[in-house]
Amino acid sequence: MKRVTSLLRRSAIPILSVVTGLLFGAVVIALTDFDSLSLITTDPARALFWVETIDGNTVFSGAIGGVVNAYGALLAGAFGDPGRIVTAFQTGNPTDIARAIRPITETLVSTMPLIFTGLGVAISFRAGMFNIGGGGQLMLGALGATITAIALAGKVPAPVILVVAIGASALAGGFWGLIPGFLKARTGAHEVITTIMLNLIGSLVVFFALRNEFLRKAGGTAPVSKNLTPIVDVPNIIDLPGLRLDYGFVVALLMAVAVSWLLFRTTKGFELRAAGFNLTAARYAGMSAGGSMMVAMTLSGALAGLGGGFMVIGTVGQLTPDLSGNIGFTAIALALLAGLRPSGVVIAALLFGALTQGGKLMGVQSGIPFELLSFIMALVIMFVAAPDLVRGMWRIKTKVPKETDPTPASKAATPV
Amino acid sequence: MTATSVAAPLAGTGLAARRALRAARIRGIAFVLLSLAALYFASGSFDTPAKFSAWIHEQGGEAAVLETRVGVLWIVAAGASAVIAILQFIRGATFPWRRWLLVVLAPWIVALLADLLAGKPAILTNVIAGSFEQATPIAMAAMAGILSERSGMFNIALEGKMLIGAFTAAVASSLVFIATGNPLLATLVGIAMAMVVGGLTGLLLAWLGIRHRVNQIIAGTVINIGALGITSFIFLRVLQHNTQYNAPPSVKPFSLPFLSDLPVIGPILFSAKPYVYVGYILVIVLTYMIYRTRWGLRLRASGEKPAAAGTVGINVLRIRYRALILAGLISGLAGSYLSLAAGGSFQMDMTAGKGYIGLAAVIFGSWHPIGAFLAALVFGFADTTQSLLNVLGVGVAPQILASVPYVVTIVVVAGVVGRVRGPAAAGQPYEQG
Repeated sequence: MKRVTSLLRRSAIPILSVVTGLLFGAVVIALTDFDSLSLITTDPARALFWVETIDGNTVFSGAIGGVVNAYGALLAGAFGDPGRIVTAFQTGNPTDIARAIRPITETLVSTMPLIFTGLGVAISFRAGMFNIGGGGQLMLGALGATITAIALAGKVPAPVILVVAIGASALAGGFWGLIPGFLKARTGAHEVITTIMLNLIGSLVVFFALRNEFLRKAGGTAPVSKNLTPIVDVPNIIDLPGLRLDYGFVVALLMAVAVSWLLFRTTKGFELRAAGFNLTAARYAGMSAGGSMMVAMTLSGALAGLGGGFMVIGTVGQLTPDLSGNIGFTAIALALLAGLRPSGVVIAALLFGALTQGGKLMGVQSGIPFELLSFIMALVIMFVAAPDLVRGMWRIKTKVPKETDPTPASKAATPV
Repeated sequence: MTATSVAAPLAGTGLAARRALRAARIRGIAFVLLSLAALYFASGSFDTPAKFSAWIHEQGGEAAVLETRVGVLWIVAAGASAVIAILQFIRGATFPWRRWLLVVLAPWIVALLADLLAGKPAILTNVIAGSFEQATPIAMAAMAGILSERSGMFNIALEGKMLIGAFTAAVASSLVFIATGNPLLATLVGIAMAMVVGGLTGLLLAWLGIRHRVNQIIAGTVINIGALGITSFIFLRVLQHNTQYNAPPSVKPFSLPFLSDLPVIGPILFSAKPYVYVGYILVIVLTYMIYRTRWGLRLRASGEKPAAAGTVGINVLRIRYRALILAGLISGLAGSYLSLAAGGSFQMDMTAGKGYIGLAAVIFGSWHPIGAFLAALVFGFADTTQSLLNVLGVGVAPQILASVPYVVTIVVVAGVVGRVRGPAAAGQPYEQG
């Protein structure tokens, strides 16, 4: 019982942060609905909230009605229609079942790279390194997997290609993470600047690689790679048509366990966390601070790279220059939301995966641009990082002492 | 090798001196390699003609022309590199190589440019004037960065503040232009609004960082992601269907009287868009303010040793608040350049990393306004030559050219060109007693 209450208290701020972020998002949606708001003087009800029944369907309109539509589409896009799922299972038709549960599996598909990249961010932040470069590391990992898969196509059996390509993605991503770690350890170059630059360079590298006929899809000059699914494909968890959720997701979950074990049950993990808490003290205790930085950044990059690798040889099936989208920044948001705990990363990744997936349907159905989610995400990070704001807004009185912030990175002094 | 170690004067015999000597030798070898590389390039393209010209009085008028061969330029570069290599070997660790680096780099860049142009003529006036234009938003962002970091606040939010500034300027200027039809008034209101919004964003950053003690990098990331999200959202939801709200009158070049009549220099420096002149003024004013006024001394004190500054009665937190608001005003101005002068309208993510490059210019220029301005010029030059080569269809992948500024930034930040030291307390929260 005590554990439950402590868990509740610990998750109160993250949950309220997300709720508050969504509320602010709703305000933005309502305030930019100029078509409805222009009716405010003539017909306030229609301008704000109006329900009517057209052809037996309940239709919401007005500025607030628009919010209901948008967030309704968000929910439906993320989790599907429960009624439809139940009927589909009753009829037992595989196509119907696949269609009904597709939103949920697609949410998990979006979640997979977020878990990998979020775990990477958590490791680096724990070690006091602000790895902003998750996006670039993911791209490099995807590139590594793509090159390996195409180079080995037809020469060795598919399972071998699978293993080698996944290894290559971890190596490539790890290398892209090692660069800022090495530069920070050896020259003191600030990792925020170097990782941002490596993000920009990473997407140019991918563009450059996709100019090559070896990788590029035949017929056309568009910078997209050949389709990798015929060469190698991570096996699917549910074998139904149209579903693409594969064992990459299971690997992501296993990685969360592995990272948790590494951080909290091994000496290396202790050293990483010590370097994040107090670099000077860690050095004084005889730990190699530079070594910790490089290990943390390499692991972080390798995890992000794995995410990219599992995308190109699994769920997405090809390399495109916009593969990473805003996964890099989303990973930062969810790692902070999770308090840098691996278990929390999985939960927060599920949440952001659902938002990402639901956001797509929201964009299609109610014309609310997907980019709103970036804004909501920024608010969520802000509320998590400044819990006083949320406490003030929701009038939470707290007996928790102020020094419970588990984010060592938020304490670490970061001189340039 | 033994000869050089005898000839090189040793500052001491300790470990540090031996390290310095080793570094000096590595540099010497690097210069020799540069020289050999230049000779190799010369052999490859010896007879290709190179033609550079510069307008003397006005665009399209009389021009000063330099015609030579690419090989000659490469040999000059090889010679310069060899001379520096010899000097480096003779003088060892005491050789002030950083100052001499320009002697190597300038002929190298000219030769490389001529080689890439492969016989096509280039107008230097346009290249250099273009570099100044491209450098202006980066330099302004850098000035904002210097202000914040000198006060002790790490500011990666420049990117987001510029983006919001660009957005606000475009919308405000379009609205005023629709209402009044006066382009000058529209532009001025657009710039003013961009600065106000930039300043408010700076205030938000300061409030999060100082009042709520949010880590300054996280606070900056919040602003960057949030700015990208909200501007893209409104662009897609509103501006895309109502293009009249995103059609600001564009800022035209303005020739300064008398100064623009100077031969060669006039068309390069003094026939630009007014933003460029504001940039010059800003650099001069900030240099004076930071190093010659009481305010500047206090600003630097709160960035270097806030505890000491607090002890003598300086209100460190107030200084940081003000510095961040001022930085926000300047980044808003820099952002307005993008949508009003460079692009002609607001586009999603139109800063495309310029704020981050500005931050790199701060480090490149070792937190000094003039240094940062020169660094911004280097980035501007890279931008301009890249688009020039792109237009001419030179056979180098545009991605390689585009990545040059980012690679240079990493090299600079890593201290390969000499280690630089920033304000000691930048990024650390300060508790006022």
